Amino acid sequence: MGDLRPYPGTPRWVTVLGIVALVLILLVSILLFAGVGGPHGPRRHTPSNGPGGHTPPSSVTDDHTRPAVVLTPTHRP
Amino acid sequence: MTPGLRKFALTVHLTLSVGWIGAVAAYLALGVAAVTSQDTQTVRAAWIAMELTGWFVIVPLALAALFTGIVMSLGTPWGLFRHYWVMISLVLTILSTAVLLLHMPDVSSLANVAREADGADLAGLGGDLLHPGVGLLVLLGITALNVYKPRGMTRYGWCKEQEERRKRHEQPTVLVP
Repeated sequence: MGDLRPYPGTPRWVTVLGIVALVLILLVSILLFAGVGGPHGPRRHTPSNGPGGHTPPSSVTDDHTRPAVVLTPTHRP
Repeated sequence: MTPGLRKFALTVHLTLSVGWIGAVAAYLALGVAAVTSQDTQTVRAAWIAMELTGWFVIVPLALAALFTGIVMSLGTPWGLFRHYWVMISLVLTILSTAVLLLHMPDVSSLANVAREADGADLAGLGGDLLHPGVGLLVLLGITALNVYKPRGMTRYGWCKEQEERRKRHEQPTVLVP
C-alpha cells in the first residue's frame, strides 16, 4: 500500500492572485455601475441625441450627392 | 501523445500564442495612432486596419491558441484541471477570447463610421486603447504562468495523483524465475 498524503491546500500564490482578481473585478464593477467613462460600447465615441442614442456624424448623414446651390434653369427663347 | 507529436503541438501552440501577443501589440499601435494623429487619412486608415487586424489576425490566433492549448493539456500529463497554472491560464484565455469576440463588432461599427466620416467627426471617434491594453497585460501574464509553471495542484489533481499512485502499488509484482 502506497503512502497516501492529505491535500496540502491551496498554494499561497493562487490565494494572492484570487484576491487581486476579486479586487479588480469589484473595482471595474463599481466603475461600470457608477457610469465613469460614459456608456460602454461604440456609442461612447459618437454624439447622441434622442432615445436611440447612436447618431452617425454629420458628414455621414449629409447627402453629398445633392448640390448645395440650387441652380435656376435657363430659359431658352 | 508521442514525444515527436508533443513537440510539434507545443511548437504550434507557442507560435500561435506569441503571434496573438504580437498582433495585439500591433493593434495597440494602430489605436494610439487613431487617438493621437491629427491627420484625417491616418485616423481613417488606422480604424480600417484595426478592424482587419482584429477579425483576420487576432480572432483566428486567439481561437487557435485556445484550441491548441486545450489539446496540449489533454494530451500531456499536465491535464486541464490538475495544476493551478494550467487552470488559471485556461480561464484567462477563455475570458480574453470572449471579450475579444464581444468587442470586435464595436470595432467594426466604428471602422464603418471612420470610412465615411471626415474632419472633426473623425477626431471625435477617439481610440480603442483600454481593451487591447488590458488584453496585452493578461496575455503577458498567461505567458509568464506558462513559462514559470508555479507549483500547486488542485484538489482534483491531488486526488487523481494519489489514485494513480495507489493503483501502481496495488499492481501484482511479476516474479521472474
